[in-house]
Amino acid sequence: MTEKSIEITSQEPINEKDLRIGVYVCHCGSNIAGVIPPGEVVEFAGKLPGVAHAAETMYACADSGQRLIKDDIKKYGLNRVVVSACSVRMHEPTFRACVAEAGLNPFLMEMANIREQCTWAHGHDREGALEKAKDLTASAISKVSFLQPLDMIKVPVSKKALVIGGGVAGINAALDLAEQNIPVVLVEKEATIGGVMAQLNKTFPTMDCSI
Amino acid sequence: MVDAARQPLIQVKAFTEVEKVEGFVGNFKVTLREKAKYVRADRCNGCAACAKVCPVEVPNAFEMNLAPRKAAYIPMSQSVPLIYNIDMDACIHCYKCVEACGALEAIDFSMEDKLVEEEIGAIIVATGFSHFDPSVMSEYGFGRFPNVITAMEMERINNSAGPTHGALIRPSDGKTPKNLAFINCVGSRDKRYISSCSNFCCMYSIKNAILAKQMHPDTEITVYYIDIRTPSKGYEEFYDRAREMGIRFVQGRPAMITENPDTHNLTVHGEDAMLGQVIAREYDMVMLNQAAIPQPDQNHMSSVLNVAQSPGGWFMEYHPKLRPIDSPTDGIFFAGACQGPKDIPASVAQGSAAAARASRILHSPQWQIEPTVAVVWPEKCLSAQGKACGMCERACPYGAVDYKQGVAPTIITAKCHGCGGCVGECPTDTITQLHYTDAQILSQIRTLLATEPEKKILALRCHWCSYGGADLAGTSHFEYSANERGIKVMCSARMDSDFIYEAYRLGAGAVLFSGCHQQDCHYITGQLVGAKRAARLQGMFERMGMSPGRFRVEWISAAEGDKYARVINEMQASLDELGPEKLHDEIERMRPEMAKRITKLPNIPHVQQAFNRADNFQTIMLHEVKAK
Ligand SMILES: Cc1cc2nc3c(=O)[nH]c(=O)nc-3n(C[C@H](O)[C@H](O)[C@H](O)COP(=O)(O)OP(=O)(O)OC[C@H]3O[C@@H](n4cnc5c(N)ncnc54)[C@H](O)[C@@H]3O)c2cc1C
Ligand code: SF4
Ligand code: SF4
Ligand code: SF4
Repeated sequence: MTEKSIEITSQEPINEKDLRIGVYVCHCGSNIAGVIPPGEVVEFAGKLPGVAHAAETMYACADSGQRLIKDDIKKYGLNRVVVSACSVRMHEPTFRACVAEAGLNPFLMEMANIREQCTWAHGHDREGALEKAKDLTASAISKVSFLQPLDMIKVPVSKKALVIGGGVAGINAALDLAEQNIPVVLVEKEATIGGVMAQLNKTFPTMDCSI
Repeated sequence: MVDAARQPLIQVKAFTEVEKVEGFVGNFKVTLREKAKYVRADRCNGCAACAKVCPVEVPNAFEMNLAPRKAAYIPMSQSVPLIYNIDMDACIHCYKCVEACGALEAIDFSMEDKLVEEEIGAIIVATGFSHFDPSVMSEYGFGRFPNVITAMEMERINNSAGPTHGALIRPSDGKTPKNLAFINCVGSRDKRYISSCSNFCCMYSIKNAILAKQMHPDTEITVYYIDIRTPSKGYEEFYDRAREMGIRFVQGRPAMITENPDTHNLTVHGEDAMLGQVIAREYDMVMLNQAAIPQPDQNHMSSVLNVAQSPGGWFMEYHPKLRPIDSPTDGIFFAGACQGPKDIPASVAQGSAAAARASRILHSPQWQIEPTVAVVWPEKCLSAQGKACGMCERACPYGAVDYKQGVAPTIITAKCHGCGGCVGECPTDTITQLHYTDAQILSQIRTLLATEPEKKILALRCHWCSYGGADLAGTSHFEYSANERGIKVMCSARMDSDFIYEAYRLGAGAVLFSGCHQQDCHYITGQLVGAKRAARLQGMFERMGMSPGRFRVEWISAAEGDKYARVINEMQASLDELGPEKLHDEIERMRPEMAKRITKLPNIPHVQQAFNRADNFQTIMLHEVKAK
């Protein structure tokens, strides 16, 4: 591993007039569209500076949704993408991979969470939810304008696994790894491996012996 | 078990604990403590000569203390590895074992704990579960009445390798019980103790009932249950079989067990919910099916490994549906009951799944990590201007800031985990974080507060915990005020004071500063950096006369969706209570001071551009609001 810093600081944000942002507002079936009209968010987003194209999609993460984004990147020459849909914990990897397939740097995609953190939490206040969805989408659009293309950092891998706990789960994991030629250190805090299963008599539902 | 011992690529280290885990995916540096066994693994052949001569007997925990073992011992005859141990707490130093071992010279009283370091690419955590202690439920008399036993004791009693060689006998007089009761959900599904279901007790209750009935067909067996849960393949059929064998199932959690002191027989008092009748029935022996609980050292392991815990204390997976095997830390995976109670088939399946997840990494010559690291604009650094500083170095949990007085620091990229602590601490904005630059975050703040800022609650949340908590609030449909506007950074350490000044200058109604609990922090001590800054800000805002509730500092884990919703609702309530006029006055009164504190922001690269752009957004957004 090299101990050096990366030289990325000098990168200037993209010139405002060169921005071509694509905005995709997801229905997620009725998960989002059941609370707010996605079309209104699209219409609003379309007015913001830098947005070259805004569209709604039934399921952004589905094949059809991803294809739409990829096709649009080429068709409209998009250089930034905003997906207003669910949590980054759910689909950020999906949409990063999606834009990358269309030749865009994956770090030029930003998500606005209008499902978990909006429609699902504000079913009682549809108007408030719509205002919030617009704000969150605008916020993602403003952030995306300043995003820089980034490369993943590559690190070496030590080809050895540590399994902590020698119960039936740990033993099985260790065996599966070893059979793939991966060295394993199996650490057990007690004097023997086996865990609770080693203490059991016969086990349900087949009643075979447990050791 | 034996397969694992035989596999040449598996190094089994019993009596060993994980002391420290450093590094990151592909490159963990793990320190193990190999505890002294006082028997040399390279010499012991498992002949048991030492145990035979050892004069000391202590209860064997493996046998649930129902049988003794020697101070020179293995827990059971099939132990893996088959190497004896000397229990130093029990040993009386008679050295008979040394003599018995003779020429093998395997016993070595000078052995000490050994610390070893391993370079590891991926970690699988499979530390299992522990058992609820039913003696805290005095109504069942466990510990007082000899014939009230636990399920784990039963597993040993009816086990041919166990203390009674498989004879089903009761502790008080060694007689075979004629009339047995099993009580399910002892400690589980009980708001006083463990409110969740322990997953496998219904099934092992049925199992032990069937085994007892097979052994002694004329034994009367009653199982007391709340619900019988048999959702997996073949399980309902197993339950049917038990009923066909004549095992009785009575719905209702028993209220109390009493004992006849002369016979040591037990009476189970309760209600048969099906019949709606109060019942009191006598039994020779009662088995309590105790709840599965997290390991006693689970909190400790959670901080060693830096992985969070779900409500209830189990290890918390990255996503309950989509990534149930992954921990939130890249390269660390869960298998088995440590992630939540599960039976053997599920634990085995998860073991294989964890191996598959880990092998993706272990088969790759290189792994990729996110480039959201810190970078330096050297010109502005105080140190480079000859002044003493080093705030950045002190903030970094990983020693990734290479600081020397007189020059600007450099960031050692391979060590930087991207918490943003150095960025948030630097008084001159010399450092920024890729993907979370000041320009990016400030443009978000400006946009979110472009219209009706005084109505809004700006919520700064960390990626790992409070953003997850907000997700969970939504997933659980806990409703909270739609005036909340969230911004995500990686760690509370990145939550710059400038962001908060700018938010109030813009007229924000309230600001939430929220990250992980200290022990859950993804960046060792990142949260501490954030917490210190937050406390400083809180004190300052108080002195400036800011109304309570307008600046909240809350540590919210990814499991605390309810807390996230509650905090936002409380903040909304504070704003409502204050009322728009007073709030407006307060915002105006503080605005000049806030403005003064951020005059230098436009000097940060790209920030002036971000402001200009946000102004354009605002014009359009205001126009939209007016159009309504
Ligand atoms: C009474 C009873 C009867 C049961 N009967 C059945 C049955 O018939 N059929 C069935 O399918 N399931 C049954 N189960 C459930 C079964 O026991 C579990 O599914 C299984 O044991 C889970 O395996 P595990 O490997 O996850 O955990 P465990 O068996 O708990 O193993 C964990 C291992 O990790 C070790 N460990 C813990 N912490 C550390 C640490 N910090 N460092 C190193 N090592 C550590 C422990 O010592 C242990 O060896 C029963 C459970 C009980 C209580
Ligand atoms: S992208 Fe997210 S919000 Fe859209 S359909 Fe898929 S899951 Fe639903
Ligand atoms: S403080 Fe955080 S962001 Fe800064 S160098 Fe250290 S790990 Fe990286
Ligand atoms: S905190 Fe900022 S000013 Fe101080 S030494 Fe580090 S980079 Fe320089």
